[in-house]
Amino acid sequence: MKLSRLALPLLFAALAAPALAQKEVVVWHAYRAEEKAALEKVVAGYNQANAAKGVKVTTLAVPYDAFADKITAAVPRGKGPDIFIYAQDRLGGWIEAGKTVEPIDFFLDKATIARFIPTTMEAMTYRGTVYGLPLNYKVITLIYNKKLLPTPPKTSRELVAMAKKLTDAKSGRFGLAYSYSDFYYHAALQNAFGGRVFDPGPKPVLNAPENVKALELLMRWFTVDGILPAEPSTALITSLFNGGKAAMVFSGPWFLGEIAKEIDYGLAPLPTIDEAGGKPMRPWMTVEGVYVTAPSQNKDAAYAFAKYLTDTPQAKVMAVEGRQTPANNSVYADPAVSGDAILSAFRKQVEVAVPMPNLPEMTMVWSPATTAMNTIVKKAATPKAAMDQAQAAVLKDVAALRKK
Amino acid sequence: MSDQPDETGKGSHRLRFGAGLLVGTLLVAAVGHRLLTSSLGETARFGEDRRAVVSLRALTDVVARAGSGEAIRTVVAGFAKWHPQVAATRVVLFDGISLDASTDSADTGENAPPRRLKREEKDLYDRGQRLRAAIETNRAEGGGRKDEVEKERLPDGSVSLAAPIERDGEVVGMVEIRRVPPPPAPRPSLLTTLSYVVAPVLLFAVLALVIGERRLPLGVLAALLLAGTVWGYGAQSWAKLSRARTALEADVAGQVKTSAARAQELLGTLAATAAPVPETPAPETAPEVAHAVPPAPLDPASWDSDAFRRPLGLSDGAGRVDEAKVAATLEAAKTAVRQTTILLGALALVLAGFIGLGGLAALLGTLKTHRVAYSYVLPAMVGMVLLVFFPFVYGIVLSFTDQTIYNSNAPLTEIWVGFKNYVSILTDFRVAKTAADGGLVFNYQNFYWTLWVTIAWTVTNVTYGVVVGLILALVLNTKGLALKPAYRVLLILPWAMPNYITALIWQGMFHQQFGVVNQVVQMFGMDPVSWFEKPATSFFTAWATNGWLSFPFMMVISLGALQSIPSDLYEAARVDGASRWQQFRSITLPSLKPALVPAVILSVVWTFNMFNIIFLVTAGQPAGSTEILITQSYKFAFEKYQYGYAAAYSTVIFGILLIYGVFQNRMTKGTEAI
Repeated sequence: MKLSRLALPLLFAALAAPALAQKEVVVWHAYRAEEKAALEKVVAGYNQANAAKGVKVTTLAVPYDAFADKITAAVPRGKGPDIFIYAQDRLGGWIEAGKTVEPIDFFLDKATIARFIPTTMEAMTYRGTVYGLPLNYKVITLIYNKKLLPTPPKTSRELVAMAKKLTDAKSGRFGLAYSYSDFYYHAALQNAFGGRVFDPGPKPVLNAPENVKALELLMRWFTVDGILPAEPSTALITSLFNGGKAAMVFSGPWFLGEIAKEIDYGLAPLPTIDEAGGKPMRPWMTVEGVYVTAPSQNKDAAYAFAKYLTDTPQAKVMAVEGRQTPANNSVYADPAVSGDAILSAFRKQVEVAVPMPNLPEMTMVWSPATTAMNTIVKKAATPKAAMDQAQAAVLKDVAALRKK
Repeated sequence: MSDQPDETGKGSHRLRFGAGLLVGTLLVAAVGHRLLTSSLGETARFGEDRRAVVSLRALTDVVARAGSGEAIRTVVAGFAKWHPQVAATRVVLFDGISLDASTDSADTGENAPPRRLKREEKDLYDRGQRLRAAIETNRAEGGGRKDEVEKERLPDGSVSLAAPIERDGEVVGMVEIRRVPPPPAPRPSLLTTLSYVVAPVLLFAVLALVIGERRLPLGVLAALLLAGTVWGYGAQSWAKLSRARTALEADVAGQVKTSAARAQELLGTLAATAAPVPETPAPETAPEVAHAVPPAPLDPASWDSDAFRRPLGLSDGAGRVDEAKVAATLEAAKTAVRQTTILLGALALVLAGFIGLGGLAALLGTLKTHRVAYSYVLPAMVGMVLLVFFPFVYGIVLSFTDQTIYNSNAPLTEIWVGFKNYVSILTDFRVAKTAADGGLVFNYQNFYWTLWVTIAWTVTNVTYGVVVGLILALVLNTKGLALKPAYRVLLILPWAMPNYITALIWQGMFHQQFGVVNQVVQMFGMDPVSWFEKPATSFFTAWATNGWLSFPFMMVISLGALQSIPSDLYEAARVDGASRWQQFRSITLPSLKPALVPAVILSVVWTFNMFNIIFLVTAGQPAGSTEILITQSYKFAFEKYQYGYAAAYSTVIFGILLIYGVFQNRMTKGTEAI
């Protein structure tokens, strides 16, 4: 019995040609279509180059809807992957829950940090510790119909003037359409005024005066200038834009896939806001990071792959073939990337983007903020009153969470 | 069990009570012994940890005042001499990720500090960073949530502690010590414990011979003996524990005193060596040393602290124990021991009574008689226990805790809050406030508002479903109706479609500008309604959607029942001259009852917990006013991360449905009888 137990693995090892201790690094991602193909191409390249070292990276596509919950459930129990790829918004929650994401400060060297757009590194940092390498970012920008609008506006005054000309609410035509009642989209305007959700640190400040000012400007666009449609659902915005009934849209890369073939569209940075002293609109960006999991047995190998994946040649593959906007900065010097109108437009926009907070308290902000936004755009309350109420609700929930 | 071999016989009270007493005392002794062992061990560990924390904090305070790496190494070496209980000390400074001092046997020769940390030592660095983040978090949140002194018990029983080095309010490094395994904790003697079993049972055996086969006196005697055993064991346990605690306090206070003296001495050496030998030529070291040594005298009283570096305050820095505070902690511990004793006693009494009064014999008898039946049921029982009862019970247990995302790894006993969640859910009656203009302003987050919405939701939906379903069934049941199968398929379609899709379609139909409902409204010359703006209209959208989904079920049930009503009943009624309405009231409705009543019961439960429709159609808009209990509970758990509170919420929902079920069951039994 003892002999056979010993002999069997030996036999297998002998059969498996180059008898090396195989280190397997499992990667979970939620990619499909071209993103998945690009990632797999990068992985194949890595495996080929590192076959001699006995490292093998395998990927597993997990459906997006179930992804975060699966990470939460599987990783702390040691049943998860060695690496996973996800946006930073859940990062704080995973770190607080523990045993999920490995801090990588120790591995990081200056050259690696310098590789990325600085704000994307910020998104990977929680309470002063870095937990992942940024892979790509998503950010909203100005998308406009070239037929209706030959040159995009540069300032908010130009925006309103152009949009007014293109608006005819009776026939359902609007100069500008975006999900302005969605707090995520609205944040671009809010940040232009220097508004914020958290004061440095985890203290919620939803009712900061800057936030109220931004909302007042939004309401002026909506009610006085009348350039925005009511109840802007994403479906409505798509149909307006595709029907040639909306000249401008603020949206992100996900919107591009929904644009009809016959629409000739262009991308431009979001305008500066004259009302905020000419400061640019600063959209929130979500950054997808590559995280090494805490229970992983191959952290060194996992980090090596994460580093490889975010390096410039691989970023080029992810950008050109996977249609991602890489967080790697030097890839934008490559003509294949800089020549791409879409990629370079997002790169321009990200200059002023702000990483979306990765604090777990952020999840408690969404519901009250959405309520406040709905109340405000439906004129059921003034911006100040609605934000005060939201602030009180968030404070209550945060206090309930932190009580000991 | 064979303490009375001469009196054996089935149904012997003496034997049964004797056995009951034996099992009861065994339980008390076994559980009590375990508890006492673990408590003594815990006390020993507590003392050990506190002594360790005191020496570690003393060391960190000195290291923080040592300017250069060489000074740190001097301090650590001095510290190691005095502390044989410390197996290894390591000092890490973040700046340069370096190991600056170490007494670990592996860190000699080419590994000798100072050097950069190696890859295998990542954990060491991460631990330091964790402490830094913890301190920043606690400061930012103004509380104690994350450990500022980390304690880790290693497999060999030794403990590894880490504390941050702070300079000018900034965490610059970490000191880690690994203690040698402590001596084994004192264990209560097994013999003493056993005597608490043997003595009462022997006493009972002797007295039982005198009393004879009389049930009541025997029962009283057994109960008294058992109570006495519990009391006795509890009292002697407490005596042992309190002695250990008192000794520990004196010991820790002494440790604080010696640590203070040694720290002072180390500081003295530092000042002496640092002045003449400026070993690092860098210009900033000189002012740093000059600045680091004189300020802020050591505060030994603060070293005896909890994980958040908050002083326990049980002694001063000079070795004196604060008697009053120690007495207070002892009093709290005494209450805990008393409660445990009473609980254990009650449990033992119940068990002994169960055996003594013949419950066990009866149970064993049934098991034996119906063993085939039980063996058939067993697999299903196991499945139910694993898949239903365990999650269910876990949910209920969770509802008594304060679990949130931040403490989800903490053991449930540590975050136990009793009925607090229930109290805060059920006793908050601030449903409405009177506004300035005399109107009411509702608090939509209040439980009773949500309950009211849920009840309104259930009643209106079930009524609608039954009425429409019944009418359609009656129509479809018309004899000779052309294309009947086609109608039936069409009418069942809403039911066959996934309700997820239906809900999203209906939500789109209620869009203010482009939804089909408002298009129709405008055709009649009215203003478009923004449906999700007011609670009533928002509720209506969900109701319309669910109405669409729920009538087919009622229709199918009614149709089936209608077809099974024998037609001769109607014939006879017609012959007797009954009108159509009379026929419907006296024949159709009573015949439908057996089918409809269970359908309504089911439908009420489904609708009460109809998560999808509310979640997808109104999403609680506006401001959570159209939330029903189950969606509200989801929001508490997954948007606000208050798991314990959400579990309590769900348990309340379960309670409501349970009351409803019991009530409904009675009613149904009533209807069956008719």
